[in-house]
Amino acid sequence: MKSMRFVLYLVVLSAMILAAACGPAPTPQIIEKVVEKTTIVESTRVVEVEVPVQVQVTEVPQPVKLTMLTHWGEESLMKPMQAKLDEYMALNPHVTIEYQAVTFDQLLPKIATARAAGISPDIYHFYNLWMPDFAKGGMLAVPPPDVLEDIKANYTPGSLQAVTYADTIWGYPTEINTYQLVYNKKMLKDAGYDKPPATLAELTEYTCKLTKSSGGKVEVTGMALMPGWDSGVVHPFLSLLWSAGGQYVADDLSAALFDSPEGLSVLKYYTDMITQKCIDPAIGSFNDFVTGKAAMIIMANWFRSTLQASFVDGYENVGVAQIPTSGSGTPTALQYNWLWGVDNGSPNRDEAWKLVKWLNTPTAEGQASPMGDYLTSALGAIPSRTSDQVALKDRLSDEFMTAYVASAATAKPEPVYAGGQEVKTALQTEVEAAWYGKKTPEDALKTAAEEANRILGENK
Amino acid sequence: MNAETASEHSGGSGPESEHSGGSGSESEHSGGSGSESEHSGPPGPGDAQVQPMHNTPAPGNHTPSGQGHAEFSLGIPNPRRRKRINNKAMWAFIFIAPAVIFLIFFSFIPILFSGWISLNNWDLITPLNKMKFMGTDNYTYLFQRDDIFKAGLRNTFVFTIAGVTINTILGLAGALLLNSKIRFRTFWRSIYFLPIVTAPLALGMMWYSLLNKNFGLINNLLGYLGIPPQPFLSSPDTALACIIGIAVYQYVGYYIIVSTAGLQGIPQEYYDAAAVDGASPPQSFWYITLPQLRPVLLFLIVTNTIGALQVFDLVFATTTGVAAETSGGGPANSTMVIVLHMYNTAFKFFKMGRASAMAMVLFVIILLITLIQLRLLQKRD
Repeated sequence: MKSMRFVLYLVVLSAMILAAACGPAPTPQIIEKVVEKTTIVESTRVVEVEVPVQVQVTEVPQPVKLTMLTHWGEESLMKPMQAKLDEYMALNPHVTIEYQAVTFDQLLPKIATARAAGISPDIYHFYNLWMPDFAKGGMLAVPPPDVLEDIKANYTPGSLQAVTYADTIWGYPTEINTYQLVYNKKMLKDAGYDKPPATLAELTEYTCKLTKSSGGKVEVTGMALMPGWDSGVVHPFLSLLWSAGGQYVADDLSAALFDSPEGLSVLKYYTDMITQKCIDPAIGSFNDFVTGKAAMIIMANWFRSTLQASFVDGYENVGVAQIPTSGSGTPTALQYNWLWGVDNGSPNRDEAWKLVKWLNTPTAEGQASPMGDYLTSALGAIPSRTSDQVALKDRLSDEFMTAYVASAATAKPEPVYAGGQEVKTALQTEVEAAWYGKKTPEDALKTAAEEANRILGENK
Repeated sequence: MNAETASEHSGGSGPESEHSGGSGSESEHSGGSGSESEHSGPPGPGDAQVQPMHNTPAPGNHTPSGQGHAEFSLGIPNPRRRKRINNKAMWAFIFIAPAVIFLIFFSFIPILFSGWISLNNWDLITPLNKMKFMGTDNYTYLFQRDDIFKAGLRNTFVFTIAGVTINTILGLAGALLLNSKIRFRTFWRSIYFLPIVTAPLALGMMWYSLLNKNFGLINNLLGYLGIPPQPFLSSPDTALACIIGIAVYQYVGYYIIVSTAGLQGIPQEYYDAAAVDGASPPQSFWYITLPQLRPVLLFLIVTNTIGALQVFDLVFATTTGVAAETSGGGPANSTMVIVLHMYNTAFKFFKMGRASAMAMVLFVIILLITLIQLRLLQKRD
């Protein structure tokens, strides 16, 4: 009995302590007392006392911690971003920002699992292809009116389209990336070419002419492939497909359209070149182009800094050309975008949008925004904000970037729809199956289209 | 495994034969001495301890009356003893309760939850109460439409069969070598065990760099020998073999250590007796070593089969690249395994229901294989 009473007292005491500790914290206040001195004359001495006349109470913002997630995990990319966040924190002392960065391949799993675990970051920078799935699941917060006004007024139509789903803009567009044909000028010159290929037929000829083999093994491939990576396989394929006059999916998302004669001609370019040993799929990454194992590659602009630092024949020998065309097509680059979004479940949405807006707003008239500065200096990406493109045109004016900036004007955004990532992976799987001789090009495209149609139907 | 036990007895194997004669210590003999008999079974000829049935001491014997039968009273249990037993049982349950609760909450309930999710369409983002029930559609899709799932199953089985078989053979060979009189035996044992204590992810990243076709050390060394660079992980024809090789490198030490412990439990007298009978070393190995090692081999094969069927980190580390620019699974999904496909399906495509169905299928496969292995490899009584 006595022990029961003791336990009861202990429980009540613990509950009281917990309630006190967990109760709402009082709003911190700064109390300023304005006082004046009054002289009081006493019989034996004169005393000066301070008499409060006026009391002012100012509310200080509650301390806020924001978590921000990106895929810029390398040190050369983290440091400049951290510097910008430090600057924001200095201007807003009540805000603490925890910056998290993972590799690109881990970004989507990280966002999904953090959401499921209830520990979502407040802000994430993500690929716009994932936007429909995020939006459908209620993950994204709708930007406040001032942010929406700013985005509509200051971004290119293509960028606006890239961050819009279900008639809603979901965040600030950031980097624009397009795909172009990148080639080694020195290798082309040594092979007797003074200009890059402009058509698919020329591309076929150049690919074989530029390949160097020894003992039956390809040492330098005419065209580098990027197997094992969905964007590395599908983006060049789509660029060539559109430049051949073909289509990816129907505008109303009712069906996949890449299993067309145009799609077949593009896939057959790859498989024929592999069969003739003019392309070796084992030479399969953009690093192979950088190290001189490949003469050409269809690649995005964000690997500019790698080329500047490490290209085997010097950055001045990197050439950029439009995507080769065939049939009735015109040179069409694929464009994809990234954007900043705020988590719908964040308890600090207002502060999160303030930070995101600050990152994407010019520091002064005619100046670049912090994001624009970061994208062009650290990444070699094209900023989406029109004022940044003007303010930073010097950084976008070398031969490499000029070609990419020009292509953005006519680039076609990658279609953004629910299930888009799954369709992309299905296409990647089948294209690789054809590359490695596991399937004929016809079977590969047929299977990919069937799978894509099933996914599109599921997500209607 | 049974090294200490095995060396304590001179005949037979296994703990059952620790003492000659039957088991049981309480005497149920018909003759009573004052104290319990130390051996069970009926008194044999020449047993001087046999006493008459009744408690009346025989002349010359000093047997306290009633002793030896105080605890036994025609089968009616002693209430105080029953309460002691119940208290002991209660404390036993209390001590194992944390482990049982842990198992229930972190194993049993998640398995049931996963089974339920496998019957639904859940994208990891939508609230659970808004999931769409699909019945067995996820399972149907896996076996009829999902080519990557089939490739993953195939690769997983190849990896498991090849990896476990090679490791078992190499482990036994290594154990025989290390059990013989070689110099620096302790040093060699440490060397073989080092890869085991290395995290599979770190090992995978290391081998990814070593096997890189452009800048890997292996290809550089091959170049000095005049051999052209090999694609290794970049070719669908060689990628899976490379993964198996890395797994063998990592786990062979474990097989060696456990097999060595088993070998040391085999009594030397068997080999001496075999030598006396004229058995050759291969015959000794076949008729003595292998049968004696059966429990150890069973343990190794069963546990490592279960582990190999769930391989993920090694494949993930070697196929996603240092900068993680690739999605994993190797060229043309030649190294895609079930768990990696499950991971991609859940966290890249937001198809948690389908991923859970894969998990259930894998669970059933592992269970069946384990039961079959136990049946085939266990020693028959």
